[in-house]
Amino acid sequence: MYKIRIHGRGGQGGKLASKIIGSAAFLEGHEVQDFARYGAERRGAPVESFVRIDKDKILERGYISDPDCVIVLDETLLDLVDVTYGLKKNGIIIINTIKKYPKFKKKGFKVYSVDAATIAMKHLGKPMYNTAMLGAFANISDLIDFEHIKQALQHEIGKKVGEDYIQKNMDAVHEAYEEVVMQ
Amino acid sequence: MEHLASGNETAAIAAKMSRASCMPVFPITPQTEIIETLARWKANGELNAEFFTMDSEHSVMSAAVGCSATGARTFTATSSQGLTLMNEILFIASGMRLPIVMANVSRGLSAPITLWSDHTDFLNQKGDGWVQVHAQDNQEVFDSLVMAFKISEDRKVLLPSMVNLDGYVLSYTKEPIDVPTQKEIDKFLPPYKPKHAFFKPNKPLIQGAAVLKPEAYTYFRGQHHLANLNALEVIQEVCKDFKKKFGRDYGNGLIEEYKTNDADVIIVTQGSISTTAKAAVNEMRKGGRRKTKVGLLRLRTITPWPHKEVAKALQGAKHIAVFEKNVSPGRGGLMMSDLKASLYDHTKKKPIITEFVMGLGGSPESIQMFKHGVKLAKKDRKGEVHWLG
Repeated sequence: MYKIRIHGRGGQGGKLASKIIGSAAFLEGHEVQDFARYGAERRGAPVESFVRIDKDKILERGYISDPDCVIVLDETLLDLVDVTYGLKKNGIIIINTIKKYPKFKKKGFKVYSVDAATIAMKHLGKPMYNTAMLGAFANISDLIDFEHIKQALQHEIGKKVGEDYIQKNMDAVHEAYEEVVMQ
Repeated sequence: MEHLASGNETAAIAAKMSRASCMPVFPITPQTEIIETLARWKANGELNAEFFTMDSEHSVMSAAVGCSATGARTFTATSSQGLTLMNEILFIASGMRLPIVMANVSRGLSAPITLWSDHTDFLNQKGDGWVQVHAQDNQEVFDSLVMAFKISEDRKVLLPSMVNLDGYVLSYTKEPIDVPTQKEIDKFLPPYKPKHAFFKPNKPLIQGAAVLKPEAYTYFRGQHHLANLNALEVIQEVCKDFKKKFGRDYGNGLIEEYKTNDADVIIVTQGSISTTAKAAVNEMRKGGRRKTKVGLLRLRTITPWPHKEVAKALQGAKHIAVFEKNVSPGRGGLMMSDLKASLYDHTKKKPIITEFVMGLGGSPESIQMFKHGVKLAKKDRKGEVHWLG
């Protein structure tokens, strides 16, 4: 089973990102389950969401405390939350940043970074970092492809936002896919 | 066809495809998505049902009683405080023998306020005479709701049914569900045609009237009890029929036994924690020399309570670890008394029962928690109670 934990702040689209990863992986033919930690939801509060992907029916539910991959939408969380909690040995951490994080590399994790903030502002004009981070995740995990991400976006938000905005998001996905680098 | 849906969306799909024609509703977290989904379909013409937004859950259940008493297939949904506010009318719905079907999305009760799931809300309704089942995943939410109409409308039963699904962990979790075609559902669940007394404009009658003679009241309560016991049989018949038509197997529909045959330790669960517990069972059975012969009993039908089946499933075990995602202060877990009564009546050897009160207000369960519980249960000699989380 492949387990993903997404850390973000309320309003950055972390919950939607877990839904898109889940939907896209489902379209690829995997068994999936997506879930989020709910609290007193408000913009800016630390939030977490989770995806499980497997070839067999998924039995385990709830929070993920032993992820294979952690996606960090907002690097200011790194001072507040132990985002690597339970992350498996050689686990992947993808951070929205332009900085280096040698401390994670020293712990044996594979650290990737992408400037999702700039990419999101360029294509969407607002700080919704989720779709750019999806592009980075697609590259590193090799679990989901562009076509299925697009279909998942259309399914989850298509009715609300229209085709033009989906395309802008896909532009962000493509750019982050190209830009993500290993630290 | 298989597609992804949250537990709430699944419940809405099931209500629509069951062709419920009356839906009185009131929103409450974490159930609101069910009625939002139905409301959206009503607005765009996809849902062919009378849809009423009421001023409280008490009014919702009152309207549901009225709808069902005219012979209309009636669906609603609620959660937690909403269910407790309905309490008075829940007894009227079952006492009037009305086959209403309700989805209850479990959530802990106030005070203090929680939004998260535990099972105290619906287990608190053990005495209201509704048929109650508890789903472990979204597929079972769909299947149980469709089956609930068939069970409730059976002339041997004629009782309302509550299908429970856990808040958040199912209600807001997307997972693949297999939805049959409308034609297949229609074939399994034909339109509801009541043969007993029901309201119609040209034939005045009274339902649910006062019966001031104790013997008359006792007669009606006795009939109500018998109808509930009949449901034990009807649930099995409907599950068998469902398996034949759709291929999904809920066994006898009362309990589910998972690897209990040779088990020394049996975990007892209900609802969505059961699937994580099964993953724990699988891991513990793998552990080489240190492996434990552990199995799982899932309580699926809560009311009527299947005494014989529960006792039979548990009788071979040395240790029983009951995980209760609920608590009745001053009593403990609400399922313990039923479970112990079953064993007292139907088995000679009394296994040791260790009770775990866990998952309150959404406190998370994990594979580790079940493994830890089994370890404690194996050492238990006197029937301990542990609070986890």
